[in-house]
Amino acid sequence: MAKETEYAIEVERLTKRYGDLLAVNDISFTVNRGEVFALLGPNGAGKTTAVEIIDTIRTPTSGKVTLLGMDVTKKKHDIVPRIGVLPQGFSSFDRITVRETLRYYSRLFCCQNTDIDELIDLVNLKDKAKAQYRNLSGGLKQRLGIAIALVNDPEVVFLDEPTTGLDPRARREVWEVLLGLKNKGKTVFLTTHYMEEAELLADTVAIISKGKIIAMGSPGELIESNANYLAITLQSVDDRTFEIVRGMGFEPIHDNHKNIKVRVEHTDDVQLILNAIKSAGALYLSLDVRKPNLEEVFLKLTGEDLREDPPEKEAK
Amino acid sequence: MNLRIISANLVVKLTSFYREKSAMLFTIAFPIILILVFGTIFMSQDNVSYHLCVQDLDQTTSSAQAVKTLELKGTFKITKVDPAVNATRYVIDNQVNLVLIIPKGYESSLMQRMTLNDVNASITIAYIYDPSSSSVATKMQILNSVFSLINQELSGKPPFIRSVQTSILTKKYRFIEFFVPGIIGMSVMTLSLFGTVNLNTELRQKGVIRKLSTTPITRTDWILSNILYQFILAVVSTIAMLLVSYAVFEVNLHIDAWLLGFILLDVFAFVGIGMILTRFVKEAQSAAAAANAISFPMMFLSGSFFPIELMPGFLQTLSKLLPLYYVNEGLRASMVFQDNMTALRYSAIIGAFVVVVFILGIIATQWEEGK
Repeated sequence: MAKETEYAIEVERLTKRYGDLLAVNDISFTVNRGEVFALLGPNGAGKTTAVEIIDTIRTPTSGKVTLLGMDVTKKKHDIVPRIGVLPQGFSSFDRITVRETLRYYSRLFCCQNTDIDELIDLVNLKDKAKAQYRNLSGGLKQRLGIAIALVNDPEVVFLDEPTTGLDPRARREVWEVLLGLKNKGKTVFLTTHYMEEAELLADTVAIISKGKIIAMGSPGELIESNANYLAITLQSVDDRTFEIVRGMGFEPIHDNHKNIKVRVEHTDDVQLILNAIKSAGALYLSLDVRKPNLEEVFLKLTGEDLREDPPEKEAK
Repeated sequence: MNLRIISANLVVKLTSFYREKSAMLFTIAFPIILILVFGTIFMSQDNVSYHLCVQDLDQTTSSAQAVKTLELKGTFKITKVDPAVNATRYVIDNQVNLVLIIPKGYESSLMQRMTLNDVNASITIAYIYDPSSSSVATKMQILNSVFSLINQELSGKPPFIRSVQTSILTKKYRFIEFFVPGIIGMSVMTLSLFGTVNLNTELRQKGVIRKLSTTPITRTDWILSNILYQFILAVVSTIAMLLVSYAVFEVNLHIDAWLLGFILLDVFAFVGIGMILTRFVKEAQSAAAAANAISFPMMFLSGSFFPIELMPGFLQTLSKLLPLYYVNEGLRASMVFQDNMTALRYSAIIGAFVVVVFILGIIATQWEEGK
């Protein structure tokens, strides 16, 4: 019998090696019950390898993963009925309809009581219930994949890059479904390389780069501790403005549209800059002041752009 | 083993099959087309009749009688060639392979021999032939034997050596009845091998297998449902082939439990080989090529289309190492000869092969991503 712990997932010194490639390098973290945990990193960072070890698809080279109080390498048989998984690049049987697919997976879990209609409603596929899988768009396929991951009413749901390859509208539709899961109190383990996805959905974000976790905390904590500044953007400035700001001791940069971007540490600095520009009679069209986001945190921590897709190294 | 999971898999596979009309058509239509095409060819072999061109230069009642005798005794379809034309030119221009020429003076020589008993009276029949034709030698052999018979009758003495033909079978069978079991064996092999390889590589490539590995379905459940699915398709396909064989060719075949037994062994053997192939071939396209590489030689060397006795000795030895040979011969033993002991012997051989291949197939099937 599994011991009930306060953590849904405990990862201790997990390592996965493929020949010379160290895909996951000695990572440790915990996921609380009922929280949405996001593993954020670029392609090839080791996200999928890590999640596939945790959700029992792969076996680790070393380290220990405890899921719902059970060792994933020893208790797969007991763990599988209690988790739901949307693997990366999810696909299903081409000529089977949405409803039939859900019924099929429900039977695999031997669930007598799965309410297929409720699941179809949850992922908003009522109009497509009789459509065959091959006729669904990418976003609809992913929503079906999420519904399949829920057929056994799992305690922990693993979603590996649920919105990769989707257009912005389809991505937003999937986010709505994931927010629904969050509201239902499910423990959700999410991997993504979209920072806005992690920021919107996750209670805790772990940033992974080159197989190592380099920072972890709530989105707010990560931003606070790693990017404690304000980003000012002045649009359509005249030539003097750049010199005025630099003369005040700040380090402004031009972007491609002749806008000025400058980082300041305090809110008062914004007022000082605006006053200086006004006194000099210089011009600007608009002003944007905002706190940095996770993408900037990631850039600062790794020097890598989260949106760039480095050469695919992640072993499948 | 979980029957609920196996039946769920079976329903999904059968539904997919039913909805993929082209695959369904191919599964049922392909073996039927084979039966129809080869059946028609072999039907005509049972009542073989060659075309023969005859140029009668004598143009007498006796020579006309000789042509009639050839038609009756040699079972030839005769075309008469105008005595005025050049026979060699006729062979070339009309693309026939043989013209038989009855010489002028046939009747007078015949009368001389029959009435005057002149043993020196004889005639020479000429064959003008195209040696590049495959059937011309057979035609000339038949003609020679007809002429020997006529010569022997003219001698007025009864033949010394006679022959009597006794079939080992109690009933008279036609070639189509030997052919149908071979086509059943071959079709079941093709269905099982390609079905397993195509389905598994496609599902693995698309990531469906990865998803399934996160559900309670086990490797054994998956394999058993695949076997059951292929067995159902094989039975449907066999029924279609038998119905066509009975309806079109009025075959006389014995159907009993051995038929189902050999279909099952055939399915197990080639699903097993398919599972081993799937392990080593990653892409769906190369999987089909690998399945072809195995099934094609098997198709021709296992006696599905023609008896292996027609092949050179070393190929016959090779044939006896192939599992399909034992399926074909086992099916013939039960469906044609009703020889239970032979069927049992062949089923034991293929059964032993199945055990080995199937265990290897199970070991080869990669379910978890694992290492």
